[in-house]
Amino acid sequence: MTAAFVLQGVSKHYPQFSLSDFSLTLPEGQIMGLVGVNGAGKSTLLRLLTGLAAPSSGDIEVLGHRLPEAQVAAKRKIGFAAEDMRLYRGQTLAWHIELVRRIYPEWDSAYAASLLRRFDLRADQSVGGFSHGQRVKALLLLCLARRPQLLLLDEPTTGLDPVARAEVLESLAEVLRDEHRSVLFSSHNTHDVEQLSDSISFMHQGRLLASADKERFLDEWRRVLCVGDVPDALDAWPELVQRRAAGSQIELKFRRWQDDLPERLAQVGLSVQRIDPMTLEDIFVTTVRAGGRQ
Amino acid sequence: MTRELNWPVIRLLMIKDWQLFQKQLAAHLLGGIVALAFLGMAKPWAFYIGSLLLIILLVAVACFAVSTSLLVERKEQTLAFVMSLPVSPLDFTVAKLAGNLLTFLVPFLVMALFTAIIIFSTPLPDGLVVLAALVFGHVLVAYCISLAVAMQVESEGWNLFAMIGSMVLINPFLMLIGQMDSVQSVLRGNAVIWPAPALAILGAQALIGLACLAFALWSNGRKPAFY
Repeated sequence: MTAAFVLQGVSKHYPQFSLSDFSLTLPEGQIMGLVGVNGAGKSTLLRLLTGLAAPSSGDIEVLGHRLPEAQVAAKRKIGFAAEDMRLYRGQTLAWHIELVRRIYPEWDSAYAASLLRRFDLRADQSVGGFSHGQRVKALLLLCLARRPQLLLLDEPTTGLDPVARAEVLESLAEVLRDEHRSVLFSSHNTHDVEQLSDSISFMHQGRLLASADKERFLDEWRRVLCVGDVPDALDAWPELVQRRAAGSQIELKFRRWQDDLPERLAQVGLSVQRIDPMTLEDIFVTTVRAGGRQ
Repeated sequence: MTRELNWPVIRLLMIKDWQLFQKQLAAHLLGGIVALAFLGMAKPWAFYIGSLLLIILLVAVACFAVSTSLLVERKEQTLAFVMSLPVSPLDFTVAKLAGNLLTFLVPFLVMALFTAIIIFSTPLPDGLVVLAALVFGHVLVAYCISLAVAMQVESEGWNLFAMIGSMVLINPFLMLIGQMDSVQSVLRGNAVIWPAPALAILGAQALIGLACLAFALWSNGRKPAFY
């Protein structure tokens, strides 16, 4: 397996925030969604992966280049767009395209032209007149048309209205079909992540809580509603992540779901009323509340 | 860690800064023509207005060059876009310093050259060129200090303090020159004589300016990453 990036034991300390002992690998050609609340450390992680920030400890390798030492070589193959990244207001999109085209020899003008049409952008328009959605699309165009091997997107859909968000996600889904292009995109919106990703990683307070294939995440988690007296021994079950009263019923959330669990619940005196798969958002919230307990 | 400079990208970033500054540059040069026209009239009132206007323009060029290239980029969050391009902190520092010097020195040197031409080609005493050199030297030093601070410090307050503080020092500087008899005596003459105190001041200005730029280059260029 060739890795788009490998992080091993990476830490980054700021006065108010620390990213601690972070290890994560993205296989080539995969799309990974990075989910975390605001302040979880997603932007710090992406800055480390672009070489913009140096780790306090640990090793970072991106597309075979060690960072931040070889950041110039790595950044030639990386497309990076962040929600807080701005273009020059007084200049046109064509001016930006020309600047980026001259820097990246792999710039694909035909692809850029097709993205202009798909994103419904005008190259001769000043960027200062763009809406937030148009600005995000312009940044994506500048990233994608350079044909990067690794695309890093920091909150690409944050602040977009529903229509613009849907457009950006649809466009991303189309352009991300290239099997050799690896993508890491961060969001606090689990719906966006669920829509685009092959694998998902949860971050909270600078730590990696969980990382797995999307299907595995969804298959492993279940929400069970049951009635009866909860025995104390239930809390010791390793699969149980959360239990709480839901009206007259008891809501139990399980990770590493096994088909024999309803039977085991019946054996301890709980009558199962309903078993539901969990949404990614529910899984994320439950994982965060459980503090990432495996 | 590689210390090789990525010159093609540095050159493009310098051109970018030049293009961003073009409109302001045109306005400054237009103002410079007006100031020099007043100076060229060689009348006491016109000289006063022309020299004042020229100093204001020089200060404006210095402040806007630093502001457009560094402070505005930081404030409008366009720096992240530039830093995501294939540049190291050293490439970025060199591009910023060189681009900024280019955008400042072009109008600065054009105005300096035409000031000298006006002094030599009108009834104004040729000795005034010494005063002009000292004034231009002061603005150059103030610019270098402002640029070094802007490269080093993100605080807008400290940057404004550095810019305004260094530029307004031109007032006591002119008063100091006014107290120097050896300098004053040559200003009204038609021969260009460089008294030792004037040369010493020019030398000190050059040293301070170079030291500021060298510090900014050393301090920013040795960083392994931007953050």
